[in-house]
Amino acid sequence: MKRRKLVLGGALAALLPGAVRGQNRREITDAAGRKAVLPAKIERIYAAGPPAGILVFAVAPDKLIGWTTPWREAEKPFIAQRYAELPALGRLTGRGNTANVEVVLAAKPDFLVDYGTVNDTYASLADRVQQQTGIPYVLLDGDFDRMAEAIRQMGRIAGEEKRAEALARYAQETVTDIARRVAKIPASQRPRVYYGRGPQGLNTGLAGSINVESIEQLGAVNVAAEMGKGGLVQVSIEQVLRWNPDVVITIDPNFYAAARSHPVWSSVPAIKAGRIHLSPSLPYGWIDFPPSINRLIGLRWLARILYPQAFPEDLRPIVRDFYTRCYHQTPTEAQLDQLLKTALAGI
Amino acid sequence: MKLEAKHLDFGYRGKRVGTDVSLALEAGEVLCLLGPNGSGKTTLFKTLLGLLPVQGGAILMDGADLAARKRDEVARKVSYVPQAHAAFFPYSVREVVLMGRTAHLGLFSSPSKHDREIADAAIERMRLAALADSVYTRVSGGERQLALIARALAQEASVVVMDEPTANLDFGNQVRVLRHVQDLARSGIGVLLSTHDPDQAFACADRVAMLHEGRLARIGTPEEVVTAESLKAIYGVDVEVALVPSADGVARRVCIPAVEPKRPVAGLH
Amino acid sequence: MPGRSAFALLGAGAAMLALVAVAFSVGRFPVAPGDLASLLWTQLTGGESGLDPTVQTVVLKIRGPRVVAALVIGAALAAAGAAYQNMFRNPLVSPDILGVSAGAAVGAVLGIFLSLNVILIQSFAFAFGLAAVGLVYVTANAVRGHDPLLVLVLAGVVVGSLLGACVALMKYLADPYNQLPAITFWLLGSIASASPTDVWSALPLMILGLLPMWLLRWRINLLSLDDEEARALGVETGRIRFTVIAAATLMTSAAVAISGVIGWIGLVIPHFARMLVGPDFSRLLPTSVLLGAGFLLGVDTLARTVARIEIPLGVLTAFVGTPLFLWQLATARRGWQ
Repeated sequence: MKRRKLVLGGALAALLPGAVRGQNRREITDAAGRKAVLPAKIERIYAAGPPAGILVFAVAPDKLIGWTTPWREAEKPFIAQRYAELPALGRLTGRGNTANVEVVLAAKPDFLVDYGTVNDTYASLADRVQQQTGIPYVLLDGDFDRMAEAIRQMGRIAGEEKRAEALARYAQETVTDIARRVAKIPASQRPRVYYGRGPQGLNTGLAGSINVESIEQLGAVNVAAEMGKGGLVQVSIEQVLRWNPDVVITIDPNFYAAARSHPVWSSVPAIKAGRIHLSPSLPYGWIDFPPSINRLIGLRWLARILYPQAFPEDLRPIVRDFYTRCYHQTPTEAQLDQLLKTALAGI
Repeated sequence: MKLEAKHLDFGYRGKRVGTDVSLALEAGEVLCLLGPNGSGKTTLFKTLLGLLPVQGGAILMDGADLAARKRDEVARKVSYVPQAHAAFFPYSVREVVLMGRTAHLGLFSSPSKHDREIADAAIERMRLAALADSVYTRVSGGERQLALIARALAQEASVVVMDEPTANLDFGNQVRVLRHVQDLARSGIGVLLSTHDPDQAFACADRVAMLHEGRLARIGTPEEVVTAESLKAIYGVDVEVALVPSADGVARRVCIPAVEPKRPVAGLH
Repeated sequence: MPGRSAFALLGAGAAMLALVAVAFSVGRFPVAPGDLASLLWTQLTGGESGLDPTVQTVVLKIRGPRVVAALVIGAALAAAGAAYQNMFRNPLVSPDILGVSAGAAVGAVLGIFLSLNVILIQSFAFAFGLAAVGLVYVTANAVRGHDPLLVLVLAGVVVGSLLGACVALMKYLADPYNQLPAITFWLLGSIASASPTDVWSALPLMILGLLPMWLLRWRINLLSLDDEEARALGVETGRIRFTVIAAATLMTSAAVAISGVIGWIGLVIPHFARMLVGPDFSRLLPTSVLLGAGFLLGVDTLARTVARIEIPLGVLTAFVGTPLFLWQLATARRGWQ
């Protein structure tokens, strides 16, 4: 009897208009200190940018209402089809918005979330979107060091505490394990790394830039750090030759393919010795962008590349485990082959 | 040398400006084209120079049709003196005159020593030697006009077409230009010039052609063509053509327009 | 006049040689002057220098192509600017007026947008630059009965702004993390990645463009006259204009394909050249070429040595070129009136 009443009550509650449901609201404080009032029960989440999309998908895949950009053919096999076919709704992060606000409203999300830099600019942008749409906008801190906390927060807000807790613990363990083992490596054995972006490999990240966070997390030396702190800059090949890095990392397949036969790049000792590595990028890059939890596997990969003695374990089961947790689908052996072929080339 | 227009129809694309104009210019002759603004003088000249396509009839040089000729061929036979204008770049007077030699140069050639000698001779003849190295844009309007005539001379064409060469010039320069026109004719060049001052026709022309509403109203000697009736017909004003004896004993014709004298009229009714 | 311009040419040539020497000796990678000299000497004489191969790479494969690229691109942009200024009878004209840079930008940005490799990006830039000017020319020719130059300029403005809108659209749709920085850097202009291949492929195109300009140098003088006047003097103005546009576009497109968009050289250098040797194109062309080559070499050397990071060339030429231009405007006595 009681259960039937509960079910009936629940059904009625679901059918009642929002005004009545509005009684079941809770207030949360986001990473920017902004207060947002959310419905008690969350069903529909709009991720305002790619990093948020990955986070929401990992924590609450069935509540994600869409992606910011459509999934490409090569990327689709890594997640379940029903997720790959969610609509592309555009970005609403303030960093190049492509979303049509009316489309966002029509999708009826319970809240909007962005996961990345938290500063006054993004906070004020969030306020504006919130005012314009009437939908609460939540900002989460994308800082690498606070990844576990962000995952837990996402879980709390989305009502997926259990799954979030498991994922957060995994993230925490990964980072602590790596940090512990790296700490044992003396400074003299820490390699100097050049991170080359763009088709010509001449874009790189200065100290502290979000692009090289993974590298710096591993205690390796970013050769461009001597130029100071900042974001992305352009350098010349001559500069790279002077730096003489031990390892070159890139995410651009064109640069990777051209570097070994390029008349000048091939004379960089690291490249001549074959110590240039391309990060896999399916379905999301393992390092650099988007700066979300996808980078956890990049940490493992980089650790293996930079400190092969300290991290001798086989990557295959690690990759399989990560993809299952993060993308909710265990990759096939063929897919693992594909990923590891790129990741382990030259090791 | 004879330049002929035979039943020439001319105008711009889609607009007929003149019809059935026939005239001929011989070597050493000055033919003056008279007509009011908008009568088609400039259009006729551009057509004669091959700058506008012929809409009907033909232009012949010594019997050969000019219309289908290449630019440099035409330029070697007919040269153009436009009204002196501002130029954009500071070429010297000598360089401007040297441009007249282009019709005689190969496509990839620059002026040779021989070309420079011809240009200098033309400058001498127009008495511009002192200004040869001055910047063209800096000399006076009259001197620029003389430089353009020198350029036409350097072009060594047998016909020179001048479009209102005395416009915008002061009195003294106008006279100088007319003198040079006569000098050109004396050296065997045929000169076709347009003007809307009938006195200039009297001053230097051997023959006068009167253009009215796109048609050749009259053609003949100045005395025959420039009369009070014809001037009234094309300009619509009363003009008296008087024969005036001058100091050297030769009587010359001048036009005296009937402009109301500014005198207070004694007693109004 | 001849004496003065010969002197000016010699002066410009000597200055350029000095600049080349400086460009070879400075850079991030320390190269001792003795090593530099012996390396260059053995290159000329065909011997072995016995130096560290990295030093050889730096001098011969990095600085060498970069120096040559700067010279060639500076020369091309200046020559195109000089020719266009004559042709359009307007000293405020730059080679971009007919849309070649806008077209090349569309091509390169498209290449980056599609994640193509560098060779394809450059080829796209080159092809689209040519196509843009072709479109402008065809459009201008289709409109008759007006001043041909005015129509060219208007068509150039219209097509150029349309292409600019295409670039803006692609920037908007590009991945803001990966593609957008690459697009931005390309648009700012740089020869930091000039390789020997780039230079070898651009050089014949530059020569192919300069040659007709040199051959037609006298007639290009006459292009500065009123169109009818020039034709009455025996010049086929339509054909000469077409040749000048084709030659200038070939050179500029090849330059922009390698270096991205670099402004100001085509506008300012011909001015200085004209101040030095006068407007006669047979003197103006070689002087512009020398000055342009030297200027860009100087600016690029600054770009890679002044700060720790590479300063984009397009930015630096504006910073250096604008005050120079303003100074020249203020002090011009002869000038172009």
